[in-house]
Amino acid sequence: MRIDSPGALSTLVLILLIPSGANAQAPSKDTGAPAPRRDLSGVWGMQPAREASEDDKQSPGGEIPSMTAWAKARFDLQKPGYGKRAAPGGNDPILQCDPMGYPRILYFPAPFEFAQLSNRVLQMFERDHVVREIWTDGRALPADPDPLWYGYSVGKWLDDTTFVVESTGYDDRTWLGAAGFAHSETMHLEERYQRVDRDTINFTLKIDDPQAYTKTWVALPRVFKLRPRAEIRQGYCVASEEQAFTRRIREPGALKTGTAPKK
Amino acid sequence: MKKFARLCALPALLLYACALFAHHGNTAYDETARVRIKGVVTEFIWTNPHSQIFLDVKDSSGKVVNWGVETNSPGILTRAGWTRRSLKAGDEITIILCPAKNGQPVAYAGSGDPGTKVIFADGRELAFVDKTVP
Repeated sequence: MRIDSPGALSTLVLILLIPSGANAQAPSKDTGAPAPRRDLSGVWGMQPAREASEDDKQSPGGEIPSMTAWAKARFDLQKPGYGKRAAPGGNDPILQCDPMGYPRILYFPAPFEFAQLSNRVLQMFERDHVVREIWTDGRALPADPDPLWYGYSVGKWLDDTTFVVESTGYDDRTWLGAAGFAHSETMHLEERYQRVDRDTINFTLKIDDPQAYTKTWVALPRVFKLRPRAEIRQGYCVASEEQAFTRRIREPGALKTGTAPKK
Repeated sequence: MKKFARLCALPALLLYACALFAHHGNTAYDETARVRIKGVVTEFIWTNPHSQIFLDVKDSSGKVVNWGVETNSPGILTRAGWTRRSLKAGDEITIILCPAKNGQPVAYAGSGDPGTKVIFADGRELAFVDKTVP
């Protein structure tokens, strides 16, 4: 193929750069070194995927079910910085460094690390250096857990490469993604991490929350790739630093056109 | 928009590209635009969750305007090859960025918007692409 003009070249480069949503979201096939037995250890990065809509920012994505009246009332009060309802400013909890919560933190653009202990799997995130404990000692989920920012999680191996996590007890102040979708404290998640080869995990997530949604929310399937050269850093959101950033950059950027910034 | 139009008319500002897709999604910025500004760094703030670059830029009348540029967290920047010493006050740089929609001298440049980057006077570039991805 001959490229005759800079414009044509730019177009070609752009086409090559745009991730293929269909490919990125399809489960990865086993093409690498074999997966180790019952082991998810390592740093993993979520592969990019074209979100179906702006509502999928930092979100499970997929087809979002109809909201209940309870969830709709909350949704209407939540003013995001992203998506169709976005406006400058807003009340996204993370703007004041409140915990991002789960599963939103999983979709934040930074890798996470799995470490396996004898009685639990640790899922460690860069944002706020969060450690999520997934208990693997056979215990059941508590029937009436006190709410936690990152919930209460138990996991088990379905077979030598598939790890299933169930969780509940999530603090309902967190959002299901940056677009402001609500969840209740009794939200129940089922996650499946299928390590199809050494370098690849196929991930699925189902959200059951009858208080908030009229049917199960099935997330967009995602793929995690092993990132041996990446390290999880201490990405604490520091409220005082966030306030300074808000005063110097976020607030001027949110002013109505033609308004003078505060001195 | 009048102020922004005036700023865009500066020789130091060139419209770089339009209609690029973006992932950052911050509504304050025009993520369909890539604008080039040239100036002198006054501060480089290496903090979570947003590092920030401040630089003095001369407008068409010669008046110096201090711009604030939001960028990524130290974690994301580190994986892109940055350190807290990557920029220092006095550095002469050009930044390709997404400007605020309202014409204020604030902007975004980071991993959420492909094509944004810092270019030093000697031509060296600092981009926001993760170098740890296999």
